[in-house]
Amino acid sequence: MDKDKAQSRRNFIDKGMRITLGLSLAGVGSVALSRVSAKKWVWQIDPFLCTQCGRCADYCVLKPSAVKCVHAYDLCGYCDLCGGYLRPEHTERDTGAENQLCPTAAIERRYIEEPYYEYVINRDLCIGCAKCVAGCTAFGNGSLHLQIQHDLCMNCNECSIARVCPSNAISRVESDAAYIIKGGFTREESGG
Amino acid sequence: MPSLKLRSNVQHIILLLLVVAGIMILSWWIGANPVKDLSVSVPGADSAGVAYTAALENVSIGEFFERLDNRETVLSEDWPRFRGPDYDNIYKGNIQLIDRFGAGGPEILWTAELGEGHAGPAIYDGKAYLLDYDEEQGADMLRCFSLPDGTELWRRWYEVRVKRNHGMSRTVPAVTEDYILTMGPRCHVMCTDRETGDLIWGIDIEKEYESEVPLWYTGQCPLIDNDLAVIATGGKALMIAVDCATGEKVWETPNPDGWKMSHSSVMPFTFGGRKMYVYSAVGGICGIAADGEDAGRMLWSTNAWNHDVIAPSPVCMPDGKIYMTAGYGAGGMVLQLSVSNGSYAIEVRQEYKPAEGLACEQQTPIYTDGLLYGIMPKDGGTLRNQLICVSPDDCTNVVWSSGQTARFGMGPFILADGKFFLLNEDGMLYIIQKDTRQYIQLDSRQVFEGQDAWAPLALADGYLLLRDSKYMVCISIKS
Repeated sequence: MDKDKAQSRRNFIDKGMRITLGLSLAGVGSVALSRVSAKKWVWQIDPFLCTQCGRCADYCVLKPSAVKCVHAYDLCGYCDLCGGYLRPEHTERDTGAENQLCPTAAIERRYIEEPYYEYVINRDLCIGCAKCVAGCTAFGNGSLHLQIQHDLCMNCNECSIARVCPSNAISRVESDAAYIIKGGFTREESGG
Repeated sequence: MPSLKLRSNVQHIILLLLVVAGIMILSWWIGANPVKDLSVSVPGADSAGVAYTAALENVSIGEFFERLDNRETVLSEDWPRFRGPDYDNIYKGNIQLIDRFGAGGPEILWTAELGEGHAGPAIYDGKAYLLDYDEEQGADMLRCFSLPDGTELWRRWYEVRVKRNHGMSRTVPAVTEDYILTMGPRCHVMCTDRETGDLIWGIDIEKEYESEVPLWYTGQCPLIDNDLAVIATGGKALMIAVDCATGEKVWETPNPDGWKMSHSSVMPFTFGGRKMYVYSAVGGICGIAADGEDAGRMLWSTNAWNHDVIAPSPVCMPDGKIYMTAGYGAGGMVLQLSVSNGSYAIEVRQEYKPAEGLACEQQTPIYTDGLLYGIMPKDGGTLRNQLICVSPDDCTNVVWSSGQTARFGMGPFILADGKFFLLNEDGMLYIIQKDTRQYIQLDSRQVFEGQDAWAPLALADGYLLLRDSKYMVCISIKS
């Protein structure tokens, strides 16, 4: 009887230790798992810090860059004279190549009705050089701005553009808010 | 011997094949078009339409009138037009003005809701006049307010279609003892009796002179000089003078080079014994005789200053220097006017890009005590949006700037009682000591939560009128 009781106590302690160890491992594992998988981080440009230096086009590991110009249509003035579309030395306000600021003709100018024009970015042609962004910021209300496109971005461990960005405009943001919105620009509109 | 012959034949065949291959490669190289998949950017790819023309719309200028109140106010000072009584944006009255805002101040005396725009008020005999655009009625509307309390006394209007395009209204009326002259967004000029608001005459400049309405609508503030309405029309005439009493044309200046109307306003200037009107058109800048038998004759002109969009007006200095500036990358220019035996000549003294010296996108700089004060444009480099002071002898040599923490956007400013009263475009009002050596900010206060507060200020009897895109407010800055 005493022997059975001693055996039972030993079993009880043994089981208790196993359960405690199991629960501890499960707890630590859960915490570790939650820290690893809950949030994903991606690189993004804060358009309010961007100084349109042009390095996004040159330093991305992708060629052409994963940085593209996007357009906040609700900010845009739909002007005939658009500082983001026309070169400062333009001779006419039309679609002639000699008047366009974009080096790859990635901005399509569409007449809506007098006096409004719409400017649409062709993402496949855009190289992220920010010339249009600089023009729009200097002469307009900044509706054109740069964003890293996450269907293109390799999400490198260390973003090679962020390393050289003079205004520290590129940082990691949570993937569920992967775009830093200017005006009404949204992830859906970005094509990302 | 046979083997030698065979070897020779093989060599010939190889040579022949190489020649054929070379010809084929050359043909392919010449015939291939590596850019065949690219499209050419040519004019017209935007399917631009034809602008609506005035001929499609008959505007009955000044058709409607409504009197709302009859109260009278007696005040002594006026701000009767764009840039004030002397066209220099300097208040010269005797009323002492505040150096600092008191606790909780400045008090807003009254607020008037306006149509979206940037039109500024003029003040005459205790009344404020403003050419508003009434969005509900679709009308240019001249509104008369009692200056001390903001009661609207009367309004005269006409229906005209104006779409929102960075606001709608833009100009400041010209007011004299007898007349009020306005110019609407689409170049409709209206002359009314100042006291009663009765319509005297109207001209549709776009229709009558085949003028092109400037981008974002008319910004030119009309001028009354010796009871003549002076309007820079562009189109069939460069400038016209109209008798305010009758509406009769007194003179017209020919426009052989087809200069277009800009947002710049006509500035009277007397130099070399002659009074002239200096105007910066899209096409060039000129001086037009203001009086005498040859009134309306172009005395001098140059196309050295020619930009797409010009909002600031010429700043004319007593020694014949004329300062011009514009936004959109134009920068600044100093011209020198000279006269010899009654003949005028104009030459460029200095020209520079916006990041190199004083330049302004919208507001005209103030010239006082031999120095120019202006707010730099967004493309002004490190000085962007700062208030800076330069000498007109060298506008690239900055005497002082307001610094990186004092940037003002495109807001208006006025010089009064030795201080600049400067409204930034968000509704913050600054008091800045006029100083020839350094920037001295005395005080600042958020007057209202504004947006695009670009309209010129007006000041009389200590009442300062300010507006943003939607509201006009009146504050007292009397000390």
